[in-house]
Amino acid sequence: MAFNLTRRKFLQSASLAAVALPLSKAVASESGIKRSPHESKGSLKEETVVGGICEMCFWRCQLVGKKRDDRLVKIEGNPKSVDNGSSICARGNAGIKLLYDPDRLKYPLKNVGERGNPKWKRISWKEALDECGGKLKAVQDKYGSQSISVFPHGSTAKYPMHFFERTVGTPNVSEASFFQCRGIRDTAYLATIGKAPGEKVDMPNAKVIFLLGGHFGENVHVSHVKSYIKGLQNGAKLVVVDPRYSASAAKSDIWVQIKPGTDTAFLLAIMNYLIKNKKHAEDFIDEYGDGFEEFAAGIKEWTLEKAAKECDVPVAQIKEVADLLAANAPSVSIHPGRHVSWYGNDFQRQRSLACLTGVLGAYYVKGGWVPAIGPKVGKTSWEHKEHEEEHNLNLNSDEELIYPYTPPGTPTELIRDAALTGKPYPIKGCVIWGQNPIQTIPGQEKMKKVLKQMDFVMCVDVMPTDVTMWADILLPEVSYLERYDYIKTGTQWDFAEEHQQYISARMPLAAPMFERKDQVYITNEIAIRMGYEKDIPVKSVEEMVDKNLKVAGLSLAQLKKEEGIHIREGKNPYNIPEDFEVVFYNEDLEDDGFPGVPTYIPVEQPPAGFARLLYGRVPVHTFNRTQNNVWLNKAMPSNPVWLNDELAGKMGLADGDEVGFINQEGVKSRTTTIVKTTPGIRKDSVYMGHGYGSANPLMSVGVNAGVDDTSLITKITVDPETGAHGMRNNFVKFIKDGKVIDIPSAA
Amino acid sequence: MQYGMIIDLERCVGCHACTIACKAEWEVPVEFGRNWVYRMGPAMVENEMASTYYPGLCNHCNDPVCVPECPADTVDMTFTDAKSGKTETIEVAATWKDPFDGTVQIDKSRCIGCGACADACPYNARYINPDQLDDVSEDGKADKCTYCKPRVEAGSDPACVQTCITGARIFGDLDDPDSEVSKYVKKGAKGIEPEGGELGPNSRYFGKKKDMALLFNSQKPELADLNQVRRRAMLASMVKPAMKTIKNIGLLGVVGVMVAKHAGDKEIKE
Repeated sequence: MAFNLTRRKFLQSASLAAVALPLSKAVASESGIKRSPHESKGSLKEETVVGGICEMCFWRCQLVGKKRDDRLVKIEGNPKSVDNGSSICARGNAGIKLLYDPDRLKYPLKNVGERGNPKWKRISWKEALDECGGKLKAVQDKYGSQSISVFPHGSTAKYPMHFFERTVGTPNVSEASFFQCRGIRDTAYLATIGKAPGEKVDMPNAKVIFLLGGHFGENVHVSHVKSYIKGLQNGAKLVVVDPRYSASAAKSDIWVQIKPGTDTAFLLAIMNYLIKNKKHAEDFIDEYGDGFEEFAAGIKEWTLEKAAKECDVPVAQIKEVADLLAANAPSVSIHPGRHVSWYGNDFQRQRSLACLTGVLGAYYVKGGWVPAIGPKVGKTSWEHKEHEEEHNLNLNSDEELIYPYTPPGTPTELIRDAALTGKPYPIKGCVIWGQNPIQTIPGQEKMKKVLKQMDFVMCVDVMPTDVTMWADILLPEVSYLERYDYIKTGTQWDFAEEHQQYISARMPLAAPMFERKDQVYITNEIAIRMGYEKDIPVKSVEEMVDKNLKVAGLSLAQLKKEEGIHIREGKNPYNIPEDFEVVFYNEDLEDDGFPGVPTYIPVEQPPAGFARLLYGRVPVHTFNRTQNNVWLNKAMPSNPVWLNDELAGKMGLADGDEVGFINQEGVKSRTTTIVKTTPGIRKDSVYMGHGYGSANPLMSVGVNAGVDDTSLITKITVDPETGAHGMRNNFVKFIKDGKVIDIPSAA
Repeated sequence: MQYGMIIDLERCVGCHACTIACKAEWEVPVEFGRNWVYRMGPAMVENEMASTYYPGLCNHCNDPVCVPECPADTVDMTFTDAKSGKTETIEVAATWKDPFDGTVQIDKSRCIGCGACADACPYNARYINPDQLDDVSEDGKADKCTYCKPRVEAGSDPACVQTCITGARIFGDLDDPDSEVSKYVKKGAKGIEPEGGELGPNSRYFGKKKDMALLFNSQKPELADLNQVRRRAMLASMVKPAMKTIKNIGLLGVVGVMVAKHAGDKEIKE
């Protein structure tokens, strides 16, 4: 390995376009100009390969690839797609630079140094799998199956996750997409309407779109952004509630610059106002509501004035939003959000959103919350085996659930605390598949201690992310461009258009290089070594995909003939199911010791001299996954910190100044970023994009670029109903040229 | 026919799909771009908060500043109108404005890589591609947006237009009164003119009043000092060693405000 010549230095002196210059012959064009060999040919006339499904994020747009001399040179949207069409976003376009990233994992590696400070030795697959299977079996024999923890993420992680959960029998699975992201949303809506809501609001046909923190444009899910922009183009009014003038606030009609942590009070006041002024959807509530009287009584303290004071927004503005929603109900899209792990009071906020939708009667109607009716496919995987219940960490000494409304899996903190204390039992095995807990879960140092004390840690990934530095065995996986696995189904995104359903299956656009393998191979080989050969459900990924497609009457061969996407007639989704219910006051919640009526729980305020650290998305990155991608890194090389311009003036900071941070526990950021001064953020908060500042030198482009916000999220807050994290309860001061700079109080 | 591009800022969400698709399509080296996206704001614009984007690209100007600055030896070039079959022969250096479709193009085989055109452009739309070397230039070739001429001629969309996730980029013939781009011009879509310039940019912007104000107040390109540019060009065509030194200074671009160390997220304070 060349230690001194980092790829970034190299890039500064010469271009490292991984795609070779075309050896095109001079061709006379229509204009009679002789083309130079230096003309880039463009991709239009190159070979098209179909069947790609993106996994740069989890929206999973449908792709085609353009190939030149057996090399993928461009990725485009599949024109047959009724989801993304021929469009894909910056990350989708940049998939080429993941596929051919020289820093990508290539061979099985064994850590012959120490966890956290690895020294990598290349080993054979047999040796690697022997060690993984052997060591995991040893942990299982010594401590029990429940001693194996799993941190999965992405479509490839489902198969191994099911193996460990269902076959091996450990309940200790911590999916980041639940416990650090959307789990709270799903269970809060389950407790209100009996279903997880997704992001299923009919924005193209809405008269008002209401976003609480949603910041489309800084986050990008292609067809969801299309849906949002279509709604705006169709004349929908946009209300954005956000402490920051986000990309969505920039297109809003009303921007509520709310004090962080107080959103529930805002929502309760709106609902109380609507009920008091008889602007609620009475007929809808009579028919579908449950516990509405108790609910109305329970929120009546929330006058506009009380909320205005708590939320630091004008009374008139809360009224304006409420009136706008009522005037346009029920064609209003109350967006359920996606990443909702904010403050540790989030279940109540999500319950409030679900109830507000009900107060407006905006379920299953045009412009409201409407789930599409999509096609069904199979879910072939490991079978559930019988296992004993007593190893559930989520039980207290009275055998009651600690967190009664957890999403699937076990709350991350319960797993980590058991690992560190050994009580009620030790956690000694760790399987990390496609997740980077180090840059995802609050309390980085705690996570490192948890990994240190394991008997065995294995990681499977495509890139050498930070957590891979803690693996004993590191396995290289095929990327989404080199494999089968995911079946994407859905409908057209605008319900005003012809109703169509689609089924597509991910197919490789390029052959795997080096020694990368797929998840079915890896899991099956480990399963054999752990003694579970007879439980193996499929021998290959293709077998699994074909079995799942068969349920819909399709096959991979058939899809290949249909340009990768099968389209058929769809169904009108605007029908309220007979048994639909909106549970405003939830008695079960109360029986479990939680508020039955959505309730505002205040959060800790920044201490003097500090501001709250807020984070969010940037459109060229997906969490921390993409930070090593040269094209994406070039587009946004670091994550500037947004600082209120008036405060910046007082602090002597200007645009472009390099700063680091120190948080309320004295933890300092390892790297620096630049200041962005703007009036578009509250004085009590600062904001940066999440997922920068990798500490792994093997990520030669992303290492130390920008600041790792997760490293500053050291105070751990957990939502009491769900056990999922709240991650915006940490506060920072700035450091410039070694000096700590206080943030003047907002007062 | 004059091809033009409209950027509809009401639709644009600043996602950067256009810049990456262009890079992939035309093999642009990592550190350069044929197009760019900068974020403007949030900033106050006449007592209103605004934030928008500057998705920029070559303007294929009506009266380009770059074309006359090219010091390469001229040739007579015959252009053919794809539709009518008409021909026109013009004396051109290594870069020209097509008489039939209005796009500005570069002949890589004759470009000497001096960078005069890049310096002359007030928008920083051109760069020297260091990967493209031959016996005419050891320093690279001028490169820029071509309005995806080969794709358009084959009946397809420019790569940026095709990938735009919100349909914010609209491409077509500005001389056709029924085209989408013409409709946008009638609605008030306008291009960014440099101070004191009348270049006639054909990449135009449309959006809410406050967003247009933010964009146009922030982006004030300056015309290059052409005396400086021409001195360089002259030297370049005469003395290669001298050209190398001067090029290192010159290629930083005359419009200093636009060039950022942290390109991609550019904000101008009001």
